[in-house]
This record gives sequence, C-alpha cells and structure tokens, in this order.
Amino acid sequence: MRPAAAAALLAGLAAAALLAQRTISVAVIAALLLVLCLRAPAGRRRLYLVGALVSGLAVVVVTPFVEEIGTHVLWSGPTVPVLGHLDVTTEELRNGIFQGLRLTAVALAFAAYALLLDHDRLVSGTRFARRSVLAVALATRLVPTLERDAAGLIESLRGRGVEVTGARGRARLLSPLLAGSLERSLNLAEAMEARGYGRPGRTRVAQPAWTLDEKGELVLAAALVAIGALWL
Amino acid sequence: MALATVRALSYSYPGGLEALRECSLDVEPGEVVALFGPSGSGKSTLLRALAGLVPHFHGGRFSGRVEVGGLDTRRVRPAELAGTVGTLFQDPEDQVVFTRVRAEVVFGLENLGTPPAEIESRALEALAAVGAAELADRPVAELSGGELQRVCLASVLALRPRLLLLDEPTSQLDPEGAAAAIELARSSGAAVVVSEQRPERVLDACDRVLFLDGGRIRDGALPDAWLPRECELPDAEPSGRPVCRLDAVTFGYGEEPVVERAELTVGRGEIVALLGPNGSGKTTLAKLATGLLEPWTGSVAREGRACYLSQDPGRYLVAERADDEVALAVGGDLSRAHRALAEMGLAGFEGRHPRDLSSGERERLALAAVLVAEPDLLVLDEPTRGVDPERKDELTRLLRAQAPTRATLVVTNDHLFAAAVADRVVSTAPQRELAVA
Repeated sequence: MRPAAAAALLAGLAAAALLAQRTISVAVIAALLLVLCLRAPAGRRRLYLVGALVSGLAVVVVTPFVEEIGTHVLWSGPTVPVLGHLDVTTEELRNGIFQGLRLTAVALAFAAYALLLDHDRLVSGTRFARRSVLAVALATRLVPTLERDAAGLIESLRGRGVEVTGARGRARLLSPLLAGSLERSLNLAEAMEARGYGRPGRTRVAQPAWTLDEKGELVLAAALVAIGALWL
Repeated sequence: MALATVRALSYSYPGGLEALRECSLDVEPGEVVALFGPSGSGKSTLLRALAGLVPHFHGGRFSGRVEVGGLDTRRVRPAELAGTVGTLFQDPEDQVVFTRVRAEVVFGLENLGTPPAEIESRALEALAAVGAAELADRPVAELSGGELQRVCLASVLALRPRLLLLDEPTSQLDPEGAAAAIELARSSGAAVVVSEQRPERVLDACDRVLFLDGGRIRDGALPDAWLPRECELPDAEPSGRPVCRLDAVTFGYGEEPVVERAELTVGRGEIVALLGPNGSGKTTLAKLATGLLEPWTGSVAREGRACYLSQDPGRYLVAERADDEVALAVGGDLSRAHRALAEMGLAGFEGRHPRDLSSGERERLALAAVLVAEPDLLVLDEPTRGVDPERKDELTRLLRAQAPTRATLVVTNDHLFAAAVADRVVSTAPQRELAVA
C-alpha cells in the first residue's frame, strides 16, 4: 500500500475514534489498531505499545477522581485540598474507560504510523506541505534515535562497570539524552542546509501514478471519519 | 581564476571563541588542498566558512571576505551555494535525514532541482562510485560507521559540486576504504579541500598542504608529528599471564554470525591491536572480550575488572560535572577522579559541564572516566578517531607507560598508531577468523 494512503487510513481511524460516541466502537477501533501494531518486529513495537497502553490506563485511573458526574457511588473517599471530595461513581468509571480507550486508539494509530510506514516514501510522495511532512517524519524518528542513544549511554556506563538499574538510575539518563538530541538536531539542520534544503525550485524523484485501489483507500479514509461522526 | 578565495577572514563564534584569524587562501579549480592542524585549530570552521554556514548558520562575528564561484558567501545563503559547494561533515551519524540509503542520496538532488528523470540514476551512480551500490535499499540504522561514511560521501558526490569540502572523511574507514574515498574525491574533477588528522591518508593525493594553528594559516614546513612516517606492525609472541581469553566464540546480532569461532588472548603487560576491514566484527569482538555481549557459543574467560571505551565516547557522558563523570566508575571517589583528570591534562576542568568541553577534551574526559577504575583489562575502540598526531603521541606514551599494570586491547584502523602502541597485532580476516597479522 502507498504510504500516503496508509497514513490517510490511520488518520481516518484515529479521527473515527475521537468522533465515536460508543465505548464498544472505540474499543473495536483500538483492537484493530493493536492487531496492526503487532505486525511490527517485537523489539521495535514494545516501547510504543507500552506507551499507548500505559497512557490509556492512566486516563482510566485518573478520570474518576477528577470528574464529578453520576449518582451511583461505588466508593467514597476523603476530602483532599484542591481536588475536593474524592469518590468514584459508575458513570465516572465508564467515562474513564471511554476516554482511556480513545487515547489508546489515537496513540496506537501513531504507533502504527511510526512502526509500519515507509516515511521516506511518504515524504517523497508528498505534493504539498512537504516541509511539515518532513518535520513529522524527523520527529517520528526521535523515539528510535533516543532508544539508540539510551542504549549507547547504558553500554558506556556498563563499560566502566556502572550498572544502570531502577527508575532513579534510568532517570539520570534523561538529561544527557535531551542534550544529545538537541545537539544532533542542530547538526542535522546544518547538514540539511548545506545540501540545499529550503532552496526554491525543488523537484522530486519520479513517482508512479496512483492506482485505483490507492484512490479507493483515500475514499475509505474519508468515509471512516464520516462513519465515526454519524454512526459509531 | 580561483574557484574560491578567502581574504583576511577572521571569525568568532557567538560565545566569543575566536576560531579564525586573518586567514587568506585561494583554491584553484580541480586542485586538492589538504588542511592539517591540531584539534580546535579552526579547520572545520574554515570549511564551514567556504560553505557559507559561517556566519549564516552559526552567527558570530565575521570579518573579511569569502567568495566561491564568484558568489560572496555573506550575500548568498548556504542552501543556494549547495549546487556549487558540497560539504561532508565530520560525524556521519548526525547528517542523515532519511531512514533508507536511496532516499538519503536522492534528498540533495531533489533540493537542487535536478530533473526528476535523472535523480534516481545519479543517486545510484554515486552509490556505485563509493562502492556502496548494494546498500541502496538498506536502512541507514543498520549500517556500520564506515558504510555510513561512504553513503554520506555518495550523497555529496551525487550533487557534482565544483568545490568539495571534506571534514575528516576517512575517520571511520579502513586504510583501503580511505584511499579509495580520497582517490574518488580527487578524480571527481571538483576542487577539494580536505581536513584530516591522519596526514598519511591524503598527502599522496593532494596538490598543496595548509597547516592551521590557533586559527591562523601557518607558513613553513609541517611540524614533525605531522610528517609521514614509516611503520612496521609489531609481531611479538603473546606474553604475560592471560587476563582475557576468547575460545571459539561465535556471536551475531540477527540470524547471521558476525564473529565465528574467534580465538583471542590478551595477557597482562601487553598491548594488542585488533585491526581489520570495516564491518568485520572488531567492535563486536571487543564487546565480547569486555563482557558487554554474551557469545552464542564458545567461552570468554576474564580475570579482574574489565573496562571498555566506546567509539565516539564524548557522546556518551552522563554527569553534570567532569569530576562527577570520572568518579562514577569509582563509587563517587572525587579525589581519585581529580587525579585521573590531572593525568589526562584536564586539571582545572573539574567543575566544567562535559558538554561545554571541546570534542578533544570530551574524549580525554571519557578516557579518564575509564582509566580511573584501574582495570585489569582495558579495551579501547578506535581511540584515535578525530585525534590529531600530537595527541595521538601523548595517548601512545600514556598507554605504554601504564601497560605493565594491565592487559590492553586496542581496536583500530590506524596502522601508524597500532605500530607505535602495540606489542602485537591480530586481524579480523575476511573469513572472520582471527589470525596473526
């Protein structure tokens, strides 16, 4: 499948998850995206899946404590400054699950985009907003790049006999990782400019014409958004 | 008429660091100019000035005049100079935009407005010229350092620039790859300005040599350390009580083994240099020796503490202060850290942030962070990458002086360094078995 069509389909699914009003509809979309993500190599997909599922779960857990809806109280807790009286109702729990599934579905759509699409072909196939598409493609590479840098840092420390263990040990890596990625982004920007990036009169490598199937996939992506808004 | 002229160029980076002082030079069409000088002498800055990146990209104070192909670099943006000038930067890892090799080479051609029908063929032609045609569809992340350096060179050569600026283009290449890369640049027909820390790699191919020191172009003969030297690789017998022994070790990252039934012994008191072509498994072997990787089959026996200094170690510093960085390996013992810093010529740098140091200082800091642990087995992976001859001599003296206290394994493509520092040499032969060189 052409990466642009695949990206449009993933965006359609994410939009449908955001527009759908039924928990079961969002759950089905999230499950579909999860199955898609499982096609990526295990080593690469782990971080994305953990990120998507943990952030969704966090929304499920936090929502009942910060919302005040419903009358069917499941648990009544203490009064906490700023937050007020803590309780959990059936309605809050349902809404938490619904919002958590939404976030998970959107995160999984991004994970599928990052893990399964050929970003090079996506950028070169773009006829408009190429700078934005390139910026998104470079940002997408940030996760694997940071993973590689973190592995390099851990290896460098192990090479000195220092083991990196526990949350505190790993937290120590955050600052050098951030500094390293800033340094790299400056070097990359300089290299891009030296290779003529941003100069007028740009051309692009010859692309094959869109097939009927690929055009159909674009229509399907638009249809998903409409279905999400109207029926799910 | 000169293709590039530099007149009374002085330049300071925004922090106030004066990098170039009153530099003047001409580069004729088709001429190959080698640029030598110690780390921090302004070589990279001069190349950036010729590419227009100084001052456009970096800011700072600029005086004098630089013209390339009749264009004043102060008035023309670097992107617009790109058709005339091609720049290969020092660090190949930091100049890759795309995830696959083919797209990476195509990128510059698209930016320059090359007719679409020509783009693909020119990209493949450039890859073939650097001996990387088979890499066209490979992910960039899977390439070795040497392969990546060749791909970056192809990306620049594909643009067919009139002035080719190469900043340490052979730092990750084996001697054969380096010779081929320099010859390729020379035969491209472009004028070439090449900065190098290993003079022997470019002297035969260049028409003229410039020596930079403290930001000035110095007249006269090259300093002794920069003159080409004859070298003979040592072939002493293994000696000393074995500290590390690899026995029939096989290991790979995917399904294919990178190292197969390798044998290696390093004894206390000896320095062993591990040579071999790019991608032949030298780094993998070094990591197996240190215990950073576990072999699929075979055994690794070690005695005492092992320390490993990776390639490009300045990238992997974690602490906020230089002395804290060094103290990590000795449980936070700052007095030992201060002694190790002083030994590496970094006294007075204790409170500095590692990322505020120059690349050469960072590498010395990384070395101090390993030596402070006084390991029984010290493994150094390409320790002379980007290191100038004077500092290389210092490193040789230091390793030789400390050699009796430990076993030392040095992975290197630098045969001069290997000849100077090692007692014996082993090589990763094409069959991926170790043999005495």
